[in-house]
Amino acid sequence: MRSSLQAVALWGKKAPPHSITAIMITDDQQMIVTGSQEGQLCLWNLSSELKISAKELLFGHSASVMCLARARDFSKQPFVVSAAENGEMCVWNVTNGQCVEKAILPYRHTAICYYHCSARMTEGWLLCCGEYQDVLIIDAKSLVIIHTFVSSQSPDWINCICIVHSMTIQEDSLLAVSVAGELKVWDISSSINSIQEKQDVYEKESKFLDSLNCRAIRFCTYTERLLLVVFSKCWKVYDYCDFSLLWTEVSGSGQFFAGGEVLAAHRIIIWTEDGHSYIYQLLNSGLSKSIYPADGTLLKETIYPHLLCSTSVQENKLDQSLPFVMGYINERKEPFYKILFSGEVSGRITLWHIPDVPVSKFDGSPREIPITTTWTLQDNFDKHSTTSQTISDYFSGFKDENETVVVTSSEYVPSLDKLICGCEDGTIFITQALNAAKAGLLEGDSLLKGSLPQKVLKGHHHSVTSLLYPHGLSSKLDQSWLVSGDQDSWVILWNIFTEEILHKFFLQAGLVTSLLMSPENFKLRSYQVICCVCSDHSVALLHLEGRRCLLSARKHLFPVRMIKWHPVENFLVVGCADDSVYIWEIETGTLERHETGERAKIILNCCDDSQLPKPESILPVASETHKHKSVEQRSSSLSQFGPIPCTGLQVESSCKVADAKSFSGPFNVLLVKTKWSNIGFHILLFDLESLLELLLPTPIRDVDPSNSFYCSEILRRAKSTVEKTTLTLKRNKTVCGPLSTEVHAKPVGESPAQGDNAIKLSEENDGVKKQKKIKNFKKMHPKQSRKVDANLTIDTAKLLLSCLLPWGVDKELDNLCIKHLNILKLQGPVSLGLAANEDHFSLMLPGWDLYNTEMKKDYSKVNLFSRKVLDLSDKYTSTFPNHSGMPKGLENNSDSLQESNTIVYLLSKLFLVNKLVNMPLELAYGMDSAFKIESVHNKMKSPGNDILNISSFYSYLRNGKSESHLPEADVSLLKLISCWRDQSVQVTEAIQAVLLAEVQKHMKTLRKTPVNSEPESVAKNGDYEMMQMLPKIEWAKDPELQCTTDTFPLQTPVSSVKHDSNSNSANFQDTEDMPDRCVLEESESPGKRKHHLWIEKVCSCKLC
Amino acid sequence: MATEEEFRWLLHDEVHAVLRQLQDILKEASLRFTLPGSGTEGPTKQENFVLGSCGTDQVKGVLTLQGDALSQADVNLKMPRNNQLLHFAFREDKQWKLQQIQDARNHVSQAIYLLANRDESYQFRTGAEVLKLMDAVMLQLTRARNRLTTPATLTLPEIAASGLTRMFAPTLPSDLLVNVYINLNKLCLTVYQLHTLQPNSTKNFRPAGGAVLHSPGAMFEWGTQRLEVSHVHKVESVIPWLNDALVFFTVSLQLCQQLKDKCPPGPGARNSPSGTRRSSFVSRVCREYSCHSREYNCHSREYNCHSREYSCHSQEYSCHSWEYSRHSREYSCHSREYSRHSREYSRHSWS
Repeated sequence: MRSSLQAVALWGKKAPPHSITAIMITDDQQMIVTGSQEGQLCLWNLSSELKISAKELLFGHSASVMCLARARDFSKQPFVVSAAENGEMCVWNVTNGQCVEKAILPYRHTAICYYHCSARMTEGWLLCCGEYQDVLIIDAKSLVIIHTFVSSQSPDWINCICIVHSMTIQEDSLLAVSVAGELKVWDISSSINSIQEKQDVYEKESKFLDSLNCRAIRFCTYTERLLLVVFSKCWKVYDYCDFSLLWTEVSGSGQFFAGGEVLAAHRIIIWTEDGHSYIYQLLNSGLSKSIYPADGTLLKETIYPHLLCSTSVQENKLDQSLPFVMGYINERKEPFYKILFSGEVSGRITLWHIPDVPVSKFDGSPREIPITTTWTLQDNFDKHSTTSQTISDYFSGFKDENETVVVTSSEYVPSLDKLICGCEDGTIFITQALNAAKAGLLEGDSLLKGSLPQKVLKGHHHSVTSLLYPHGLSSKLDQSWLVSGDQDSWVILWNIFTEEILHKFFLQAGLVTSLLMSPENFKLRSYQVICCVCSDHSVALLHLEGRRCLLSARKHLFPVRMIKWHPVENFLVVGCADDSVYIWEIETGTLERHETGERAKIILNCCDDSQLPKPESILPVASETHKHKSVEQRSSSLSQFGPIPCTGLQVESSCKVADAKSFSGPFNVLLVKTKWSNIGFHILLFDLESLLELLLPTPIRDVDPSNSFYCSEILRRAKSTVEKTTLTLKRNKTVCGPLSTEVHAKPVGESPAQGDNAIKLSEENDGVKKQKKIKNFKKMHPKQSRKVDANLTIDTAKLLLSCLLPWGVDKELDNLCIKHLNILKLQGPVSLGLAANEDHFSLMLPGWDLYNTEMKKDYSKVNLFSRKVLDLSDKYTSTFPNHSGMPKGLENNSDSLQESNTIVYLLSKLFLVNKLVNMPLELAYGMDSAFKIESVHNKMKSPGNDILNISSFYSYLRNGKSESHLPEADVSLLKLISCWRDQSVQVTEAIQAVLLAEVQKHMKTLRKTPVNSEPESVAKNGDYEMMQMLPKIEWAKDPELQCTTDTFPLQTPVSSVKHDSNSNSANFQDTEDMPDRCVLEESESPGKRKHHLWIEKVCSCKLC
Repeated sequence: MATEEEFRWLLHDEVHAVLRQLQDILKEASLRFTLPGSGTEGPTKQENFVLGSCGTDQVKGVLTLQGDALSQADVNLKMPRNNQLLHFAFREDKQWKLQQIQDARNHVSQAIYLLANRDESYQFRTGAEVLKLMDAVMLQLTRARNRLTTPATLTLPEIAASGLTRMFAPTLPSDLLVNVYINLNKLCLTVYQLHTLQPNSTKNFRPAGGAVLHSPGAMFEWGTQRLEVSHVHKVESVIPWLNDALVFFTVSLQLCQQLKDKCPPGPGARNSPSGTRRSSFVSRVCREYSCHSREYNCHSREYNCHSREYSCHSQEYSCHSWEYSRHSREYSCHSREYSRHSREYSRHSWS
């Protein structure tokens, strides 16, 4: 888990496809949520004037989204649950786009209803139905199956459900219609207890409705009498009391009903799959009143519908492979809108404002209600494309201006900082990734734009469909090799340095869909082989050294899903989409065996251990013994990385890959593509954590295991992160010396354009690497990060800062930043994204701020994440002490080293904020409670204290002595940030706010004449903080001293502190420290009395 | 230009032809699930299946299938120790839903529903549209097939807790467990005989995981007791219409895949930037076809040889060789179809 992954999307001009399969409007009518066939969710802002603008794209599902529903009481927590075709369920916080909870269940839901009975339940339930018998009850918080509503009579799949709250009988019931057309009624409120005790709950009533394909069932809450049931070919109205049929309306030819809703008493709306809707008044027929049933029972009311109004969408749609998904929301709060909404496969959303009293025309004919708003993702792109931010635009300096290059495949080589892009016309561009990104994003870099160093490889005549850089996967292979495959079945082996073709393979097997490499443990006569998967479902093995094709396996009838290697017997095991397995003998090229069904699964599982190492982590173990269904889809959807993106077209496939892959460098570029279109876009990924690791020259000390007795506890709990950092840190120690000299030996501002330079450096580093390799853990993938050119690291950091800085808020500040930080201004607002956890990803869309109305006026080109940022940053700044000491180091800003120090300082701040806000929810709760009782340090001794996690990050960052020395500065910072988190401030907002405040602070000091004031007091915690920065600054002054400082604080921390307090650089530290401390007093004078309260409480356990 | 015409022909004629064929096959398949003579009115017809096994005859039984539900069961079990004959049957008032059949049937009707919305009057505009539809249909069909081919793997406590054990009229003795499932085209009944493990037993207790068929020696904990499977009896009977349904699934899946292979992804020929890109389209299709039919031929040859090989093996493989022969039958039928197709194609490309 890399929670510190920052993403910047280079969207280009075309919006990614978003075929809407599910749509809902949140209860506050401020947001529309859509789910797509491609697997993403999209959040759209809905203004009070009913204007739509797309805001954010959420990546997380690997298959088509089936349904969306509210997952909490919306006024308290804005959570929405989404369910995908492969059984994935996610709960999203739709205000900040984060995935709160996720689960994979072996059930495919088609509808979800949220139910909560406040008096008797702590957590709400999600009542789900779908491709399984009866109705599942899932806990809305943990997504665990609690129980089921079972049916005693003819149990079957349920098509639709609806919850009925009846005021008169004070009972909540669940109405459900099965695929066979059986209406079933379960009591909910009276069976809560038995559900909690896991007793069987059977249906109370059941009635056969005599129609198939039920699409919706709705209860009229106004009359509490009528029940509307919409089938695909007819809709019916029933009397809720005895389920007697009152009316049947059959659809016209070629028309399929898709749903309906009750608008008011005796008024309903019905919509169809092709996007039309009809509003009917249900009239009592005059006849019925006079007719009493012969048997003397109740009066039989008969009704008939009268069409009042209708709505329709514009015709001329290119693609209608999916029906329109529509819904209706009737909001009781301001501004009282009744909205009919629809989403369609093209990604268009249409809204109709339904009048409170819909009436027909004077002559009685139905009136057409006009469309209120309509919007697509592309509209966002068009409206906002003042700057098209792409990497590829600058490839073709020699090409026509208006001709754009369509990138069809792309590969980033971190060790060389090269971005290799295969284009639709068959050319392959190789360019410096960082510079290309800069050229795309930043302004004033016109020099770069014109003469972006690039290489063009010409050899393919058709679109380049796949690329592979073998050295990136196995360091034994030649660094100059690149393998590319095209649409016409050619695979070319290139030397990227000399730009020549080493060999051309012609596979005669259709488009080359992917190129893979055999794992390290699989060697054919001590060589690794390249495996090409082609669109005619064949697999070819290429031997690069020998320049020959070893095997062409052409008997697969279905797309290849899985490739496994059997090193002992030299077998290639190919798993296909129809779950069959083909085993090929590589030496002889014969089909050794073909298996289907159960046996095939067993075979695939058997060679698990001999599988490709990387796919292993992503590829599913198909054997997982789920009770039934939806397992099969999983395998397909997750297989994108290794073999082939097949049925489940995954846009986010590559995002997933990014996270799952040992993404080791601080910077990465990914091409995100969808299967059903050629629209792709690049994402830049910045890893704050590893950036810092590279930038911080001192060997950072992690929690010292011998020092603190609860360390094992920390390690156990925060395994993933802390352990990782310890690992990398250990390595840091070994390499740090030579590397950091390299890093800073060069003037930072110099342009690192020459590729040779990079190579040379990385070779040097290689030497270092080999030394430490012995110590390395076997498990770890060869780290690329070490190889990255030092200048690149700083440049990466600068680019990241450029992307994050809220440009345009303050012109003067902008200029100061450009001048003193030596960073460049953005061309326009950038689309930030965040990789939250393992495979959940959110990306802002261009123009996400289009309807932040206040902002639109004054700042048309402001890179502000949200309005909140300014307030937050003000808050942050206001806690600064008035007489803060000047960072002396910044005075002589001509020194580029100082500048880089500032950058490092800013980044470390950001990293901290990021970590704090991103903290898992449980941790946060634990921390908050700790705050409340103000006994953080008492708790600290108890094994269950979670604060250690944070502070371990923190101390790692700050090179603190040990856990027990947690200063109150930490705590106050934690408190401020956790305060933000509670107000559901987004990570990006927090980061931007802190950055703005810090930069403002620094730049302000530069505007004035620097006042060199002594730190008013060096508190204990101050010392501790200084230790972190001091070695760095000292070293900055005198690189030769570096080695000593590297080790010095480690051994004798106390003495170094004393030494520090004399040095000027302490001032710098103090400014950083003060705000944190003062947060507590909310910008009152930083008096120490209050502090002491804290300190006493804090210290009671550790020292006193 | 010619390529555009070909593409249009694909979208306007060929796709609909395939869809019609698919629909016919799937309708035929869904008919198998609702037995002949059943219809919407009246109760579903009952079918009796006599269960047997090739080995011993310690378990004999007759299961009555009514649509997707077991309405009656008569099982005779000869206890191995004392040759005592046990007989148990379903309670009159109860039916046991075979969920695998129900799910398969529902998946098929979902697939049919997807296709029904795309009749001749519907105009496909892009290849992507066809691909998406095919993906959706194939998903349903794979699920339908997988439900039949992969029975649920249950743990022994799950079997013990299942409602099936409560279905019998003289209640099952506590040392017996019963499970019924579908495996491919067979209706299978397994009877587990149990014995209690003594608490002070020296045997190493290791609860067994989930499995379709547990083997003797599998242990589990039920209530306070620790139990071990002492004997396993498995009897089965072929359901002919399930066999048909499986064949239909396989055939229609392949039809879908072939249609997918013909459709170019992307926006379609109209928006294609260069004519050259699509020029190879028909030739590619033809090449693929010929290559496919070659493949099929060699497949069936392989299968034949495989089945010969397998038949040499003991009876254990009998069911497999059956499967293979079924496959080879399918494939031969396919290659016939393919040759027809390629004929059609060549005719078209000439015209």
